[in-house]
Order: sequence, then C-alpha cells, then structure tokens
Amino acid sequence: MKKKRLIPVLLLRNGWLVQSKQFKRYQNLGNPVSAVKRLSEWASDELIYLDITRDNSYDMRRDDLGHPNRHSILDIIDDVSKVAFMPITVGGRIRTLQDIEQRLALGADKISLNTAAIDNPQFVEAAAREFGSQCIVVSIDVRLDGEAYRVVTKGTSQVTDHTPEDWAGRVEQLGAGEVLVNSVDRDGMKNGYDLDLLDRVARRVRIPVIACGGVGDWEHLADALEQTDVDAVAAANIFHYSDQSVYLAKKYLHERGLNVRPADLLAI
Amino acid sequence: MHDHMSYCNRCMYPAVAVNLSVDDEGICSSCRVAEEFEKLTPEFWEKRRLRFEKTIEEIRKTNKSDYDCLIPVSGGKDSYFQTHMMAAEYGLKPLLVTYHGNNYLPEGDFNRDHMRHAFDADHLVFGPSVEVLKKLNRLCFRKMGDMNWHAHCGIMTYPIQIAIKFKIPLMMWGETAWDISGMYEPDDFVEFSARMRHEHALRGYEWYDMLNDPQEPLREKDLSWAKYPSDEEILSVGVRGLYIGNFFKWDPNQHSRMVQEKYGWKAADRPFERTYRTMSNLDDRYENGVHDLLKFIKFGYGRASDHASKDIRTGYMDRARGIEMVRKHDHVVSQDLYYWLNYVSMSEDEFWATADRFRDPRVWWIEDGQWWKDNIWGQASAYGSVHLPKESWQKYFRR
Repeated sequence: MKKKRLIPVLLLRNGWLVQSKQFKRYQNLGNPVSAVKRLSEWASDELIYLDITRDNSYDMRRDDLGHPNRHSILDIIDDVSKVAFMPITVGGRIRTLQDIEQRLALGADKISLNTAAIDNPQFVEAAAREFGSQCIVVSIDVRLDGEAYRVVTKGTSQVTDHTPEDWAGRVEQLGAGEVLVNSVDRDGMKNGYDLDLLDRVARRVRIPVIACGGVGDWEHLADALEQTDVDAVAAANIFHYSDQSVYLAKKYLHERGLNVRPADLLAI
Repeated sequence: MHDHMSYCNRCMYPAVAVNLSVDDEGICSSCRVAEEFEKLTPEFWEKRRLRFEKTIEEIRKTNKSDYDCLIPVSGGKDSYFQTHMMAAEYGLKPLLVTYHGNNYLPEGDFNRDHMRHAFDADHLVFGPSVEVLKKLNRLCFRKMGDMNWHAHCGIMTYPIQIAIKFKIPLMMWGETAWDISGMYEPDDFVEFSARMRHEHALRGYEWYDMLNDPQEPLREKDLSWAKYPSDEEILSVGVRGLYIGNFFKWDPNQHSRMVQEKYGWKAADRPFERTYRTMSNLDDRYENGVHDLLKFIKFGYGRASDHASKDIRTGYMDRARGIEMVRKHDHVVSQDLYYWLNYVSMSEDEFWATADRFRDPRVWWIEDGQWWKDNIWGQASAYGSVHLPKESWQKYFRR
C-alpha cells in the first residue's frame, strides 16, 4: 500500500524563514537555506517551500554572515535545491508558465498555485497541460465564515464564493495533481487540524490531499491520518521548535502503527 | 533598502536589529513577545512548573548517567539561577560545564570558581589553547567583524559534546531567545537546536571555515571542541536542551538580587563604559566592550540599547531614561579595545580599517569624511572619521 507522507512546510517572507500565526503574525526565524539542509538530514518525505512575500523585497538585512544574503526568490530556490535531498514543491507569486518553468529548471519538482488559480482557473489547465498534472499542486487556504468554509486568497484579503470541496473538485477537473488544504483559523494555533475540513475535501476528490494548519503535537498528525482520507500530513512551525523534529514525528507515527516510512537519518 | 533608521515605538531597537520584525503599529517583535509574557499569571507559571517537572521526569527516565542533568554555565547570574533551580530547588545532581575563552574579568573568575562552593555540583571547565584563541580572535574579527566567535561556538558546542560523552540526556539552558528578537513565544516551547546554534550564535560559520587561512594557520585538531555532534550521536543518548526561561518567569534584575543574597555572587564593582548595567556579561570582558562596539559599528546600536530595551519591557525604566542611556553609552569606544589590541598584537589602525569594512550601508552614510547615522532621538550625528580607502566610499553616499 502506498505510504502516507509527512511533509514539512517552510515559509519564506522577505528573504527570511518565518513562522506564521493565523496568516497575520510573522516571526523571523532565520535564513532560508540552513533549515532545508536539516530537514533533508532528517529524511523528510518531501518539502513544500512557500514564498509569502508581499512586496518584492528579499533581504536578511546583514551581510556579515557565513551564508549569502540573497535578494531574489530564484537565487534562493537555487540555493535551496542544492541542499534538498527530497522532492520540493515551490509555491508563491507564480503567475505565468515561465514562472513555473524557471522554478522547475532550478530544481523544483512540483509547483503550487493559489492566487493564480483563483484569478484564472484556466491557468491550472494550461500549467497541467504544459508540465503534467504530477507537477501541479493547488494550495487552498480556507477560513470559517460563520458556519461556512470559504476559500480565501491573496493572503486572506480576498474571500471567494468557493467552498473548499467545490474548489478542490474544480481544480481536479482542470488537471491539478494534488491539493494542499490549509486552515487559516488553525494556522499557528497548535490546536490540531480542522478534521471536518480535511474530511470534506478528501471525500470529494480522488487526487491526493495534503493536510495543513494547526499541528501542535505529533498526535495531531496521527489524528488526520486515522480519521480522514488525506494522503499526506504537513506542518510548518512545529518543525522549528526542536532538533530532529521530522525524525521524531515519523518515529511517533510509525510506532503508532501508521503507514509511514520508518524514521531515518541521511548523512549529507 | 531602508532610507533611514526607523525604531520600535516602544523600546530602543532599530528595525535593522538582528532578526527583528516591526509590525504595522510600529511595535517590534521583541516587545510583542514581551507583552505576551507580561500577561502571564501566577496560575500560568504554576502550570508551567508542573509541565517542567513532568518533562524532566520523562527525560530522566532515559538517563544512564550519574548526573541528573548538565548545565552549561559561565558563572554569570543566569548560571547561578539555573543551578539554583536544578540543584537547590529540585535537589538534582548537575554537572556544570564551562567553556573558558580566556576573556574573564576578575569578578567573573570569582563567580565561576565559586559555583562548586555555593552548590553541591561538580564543575568541568574547558579552555582551548590560548595560542589558538588568539588566532581565532584575529581571524574572526577580520572574517566577520566578531572576535568572540570562538566564545559563541564554544558555549554552544562543548556542553553537548560532554552531554554525549557522559550520556546525560538533559541539558538545562537559561533564557530563551524570545527576549532578543521575538522569534518564539511561550507556547512554542522551543528547545536548543543545531540550527539556532549554527545560524544565530555562529553566524553561519563552522570550524572548517577557520582552516587554511594563510595569516592564522589552524589545524583541524586545534578545533575539536568546536565540532557539533551528529544527529546519530545526539539521538543515541537522546540529548535535549531545555530553556529554563520557558518554565519559570525570567527577571534578570530579580535573579541577580537573589543570587547575590543567597550565594554570594558578585556584580561588577565598577560600571562598564558601554552600558549602565553592572550585572551582565561578567564572564567576558569584551561582551559589553569591544565585541559590542562592533555591533554599534555594524548596525548602529549597542549594549545600552539592548539593556534599556529589556528594562523598558520589564518596567524597570521608561523610554526617556532609555534614550538618555543610549545617548550616553551606545557609541563609546571602551578601554578594553586597547587590552584586546595588546592581547592579539594588532595595531589600532588595522582595527579601524577592518571594522569599517563591516559598516552597514542601511545604517551609515559618509559625509565630510565622517560616519553619520540617524539616532533614536530624531537627529543624525557623526561618529568619527572614515578609515576605508576612498574607492569603497561609493555605497555610503546618500545624496
């Protein structure tokens, strides 16, 4: 049986690796590359690398460090792919087929679309036709609006009419190969995934669903794998709080009898 | 690029401060995190204490050593507080481990050596060869504008090497990094990590970057104390580094009073030139001095800004008094510069010519052959002549 995947998500904002709370509070953690090396060494199944920069500025604001201070996303992706010994999905600020091509040429294995897909759904189709569905992930950010789930985009500034399950169904038809479902309300809150949300989306589509948003404990990863049909569990902040985090998370899931690869370390 | 220095509206930090982010209301991430901490109630800290007890119990279950925990100590007030908690409050047997970088002040020497008199604890003090240290002082000053890289590296590396050697799974660190730059929050329960060490303490440099320098020849075997253990070695003992500041309220002013009264810890008997505090950084004569002067040279703020910012956040000082302290201390060229130049046999000319290479153009500009920057009190002023060759002035011209 196909293994379930455990996927760390790294967030890049203005050249910094950050942690995020509810899509509105950001804390700078460090440079955008050394974390990737660690996640590789801990044998992560994959990596999702999202650029959530609002303007076009990438600057760590100092030049006296042992690692370079890069000023463009493409330079950063180039550095990242040199230390990533796992498949990488790169997302954020992708608007054209050329944007996709550049990222793939620099070593990305997949790309993820969010705003571009909402603004122009045909773009998903064009991208899938050009590069293959296996390489197109659609990222779906969801917020609870009263009782109803709504897809939001452009950070959270635009609330769409789409429900997450309808939107996931739509992008599946358009040729997306996977969907990444993130709950804005749970982002950085450590209170567990929104399992109802994940369940709705996972029931609707046949393509793999990646869960994201709210993990505060390894147990939360298990909850999603045990109680919903998601194919992968992703998380961001928690992997920065301790060393060997991915290894320890995998060990936990494996020992709990879940269908994940056993914990491993890579010597790089 | 920022055109001018902008500052947090609450504390003394400029937006260029390391790792800082300033939000839409003009408040920096350090102040925001401090706000979160201030809101915490005694009930909260009681829960934290219980969590602490549970966590150390869990880790101790895997302990195959005679020591209950390892405490990296310099002999400073924080070291005493950590050891007080573990040895006196919890009755545990700690192994104290010190990296001795040969930078101690006399008060610091006393405080460090007094620890095993004051506590029922064994103490291991390790110091690299002074020849090697002098080379590293000069090399790292030229390479990254920081003569104290060896100290950051030794403090963050030697203890975990010893934890593995003695099979001690629990390292007890002090303050969390939240106060410095607001990277983490109380609920994050952040632990000691190789990434934090590598990026923030060691600035992205490792021991191997120090080899093959023609001026300062160093061999791999000179730097064995600087090598971080592998994940396999760490996992084989299960070493974790907890920050005691995540579990007990961190109040440096109160801690220093307590350790003076209870354990005879000594503050500096005369004030430092670059800060008003007498209780911080006694383990390293340069931390409040020339090492910190380099921070001012690079980024335009110094130790008085750090200390006043902390004291504003904890309510020991108001903003006006903070500004006064910054005005008085931040820029001072302290006498330990001459002690250091003598220690490493370097001329003052070489010092200034090298230091100027690290001036950040986000902060500094050149006008009439002088270094200028904006100040927190709203005016620009000049801070001495430029020692760079004229051909490299271009990036510092503003108009």
